[in-house]
Parts: sequence; structure tokens; C-alpha cells
Amino acid sequence: MNGSRKTFDRPTTPGPHLEAMEARLALRIAGRLNQRTEALPHDISERLRVARLRALDRARELRKLTTTPAHQVQGGAVLVMAGPPSWWLRLASLAPLALLLAGLLLIQRSYLNQQIHAAAEIDEAILTDDLPPQAYSDPGFAEFLKSPRSVE
Amino acid sequence: MATDHELSDFLKSVERRAFKRTAFAVRDDEAALDIVQDSMIRLAEKYADRPAAELPLLFQRILSNATMDWFRRQRVRNAVVQNFSDFETDAEGGDFDLLETLQLSEDTIGTESAADSVGRVQILLQIEQEVSQLPQRQREAFLLRYWEELDVAETAAVMGCSEGSVKTHCSRAVHALAKALKAKGITP
Repeated sequence: MNGSRKTFDRPTTPGPHLEAMEARLALRIAGRLNQRTEALPHDISERLRVARLRALDRARELRKLTTTPAHQVQGGAVLVMAGPPSWWLRLASLAPLALLLAGLLLIQRSYLNQQIHAAAEIDEAILTDDLPPQAYSDPGFAEFLKSPRSVE
Repeated sequence: MATDHELSDFLKSVERRAFKRTAFAVRDDEAALDIVQDSMIRLAEKYADRPAAELPLLFQRILSNATMDWFRRQRVRNAVVQNFSDFETDAEGGDFDLLETLQLSEDTIGTESAADSVGRVQILLQIEQEVSQLPQRQREAFLLRYWEELDVAETAAVMGCSEGSVKTHCSRAVHALAKALKAKGITP
């Protein structure tokens, strides 16, 4: 019991001397690990090299994207697109949305016009048609005739 | 900002140790290679514009996170068991003398003969095996602190724990390694 207690306490609060010894031993072990690492199998070394090259390519690509201007004329003839999207490209990407909105507005307006025309046609048909005699017996129509608006 | 050359040199200097450290953790060379590659690319994508001096700490943090992500994805039960084993203490280590191991170790400096070199590979293998058998947090602290040569504060930052915990993990790891190696008659 005491032994385990002692083991638990000692590493948590090592004195300077013990710390130094631990560090020396640890560095020796780390040195041995380095020796093993130098002798990695060829296929693993090769895959690590490829991974490193990929990472470097990626870093180069990203640097190019952030440093190259949006469009660059090369040889006076070729237009190279690179870098973040320019303002006109962003505008162009909004064009379909604008077209869609305009189309919807147009459709709504033509639908409204159709409704107005249809209502006007009905009104015109009613107003120009002969008034049936039964209409005069209708209390509502009589009231309508008496109203100030009908007098106008 | 780190130049391509600096980034390349840094990755070259760290890739082998990164692979071994990850392989110790995941115990699968293929997975370790994938994790190291992902970490390198993540470093290049996100932090290539940082000064070269910041790269070691950033890379170690990315590598540790990538390894943890791998464990999360794999949901390997053993990883959980390893984490819990960090809380275990060794009841038989009370009378273990670190100084004795260190003295034995230093007595052997320069005494290796040509005949010993054959056995040296075996010794290195056994040391590596003992390191791989350390509890995960102890091994992580030990390797970051003494192999990657980060200081205590940097190791704590990478591991996401306090500096005191790093010291404790390191100390326990060194004691465990010294004891295990001594039991095998190995002087590191």
C-alpha cells in the first residue's frame, strides 16, 4: 500500500535532481528512437516524401491564388483567369437571379392586366345590355337608383 | 511568412517522427501515413502564411487533432481503454531506482563493439516497443517533450492540458520506460 502511494507521489512532484535525471534518460531514449526512425522502410519514406510534395504543391497553389491578380494578359493575347472571383464575375453570377425576378414581375403584371380586362369586359357587358323589367322590382336596385352616387 | 523552402525543410525534418508518433498511437502504418499526409496538407492549406517559427507547434497540434479525429472515426474500443489506463498507477514501482538505470546507461557509452551492432537493432526495436506500450497520454507527452523537443508549455498546448499534467505524464513515462527496459536488461 505504502509502495504504491510512494510511486504515485514521486513522479508528480519530482525534485530538480530527479527531473534532471529523468530528462537525461528521456533524451537518451529519444535518441534511440531517432536511430530507428532513420531506418524507416523505403516505401514508407517514399510515401512520406510524396505526401510532403503534395502539401507543398497545395501551399503553392493557394499562394498563387492569393497573390495573382484576377485576370492577367499574357503575351497580349491569352486571358488567364485566376484568383478570387472579380466584381464583374460576381455580377454575372447574379444575372440569372435578376432575370428570374424580372420574369416573375412581368408574369404578375400581365396576370393583373388580364384580370382588369376581364372585369372591364363584364362591366361593359352589363352596362350596355338592356335592363330587364324585373330589375325595377328588385329592392336592392331601387335603393341603388335612390343613392346619391346613382344620381351623379 | 514561411517560404516554400522553409515549409519543405520543416516537413522534411518532422515527417518521419510524425509518422512514428502516429503509428505508435494508431498502431496501423497505413492509417498513420494517411493521418500524417492529411496533417501536412492541412498545415499547408491553412498555415503556410505563418512564420516558420510557428510551424512546429501548429503541426504538432494538427497532427494530434487528426489522430484524435481518426480515433473518433474508428471508434476503436482499445483507444478508450488506453485513455482510461492513464489513471492507473504501477503498484510495483516503489523501490525502482531511476539513477541506477541512468548510470548503467551512461556506463555503456562508447563501449559498443562491432559484434554488438547486430543486437543493437533488436534493442532499438524493444525500446520502440516499450514506448508504444506506454499509456496514450504518457506516450504523447513523452514524445512531444523529448522527441519533438517542445517545451512544457508547448506540449501542454498541443495536448490541451495543464503544464503540471505534462510534467506528471512525462515523469511517469520515463519511469515506466526505465523500469521496463531495465527488466529486459536494456540500457538506452
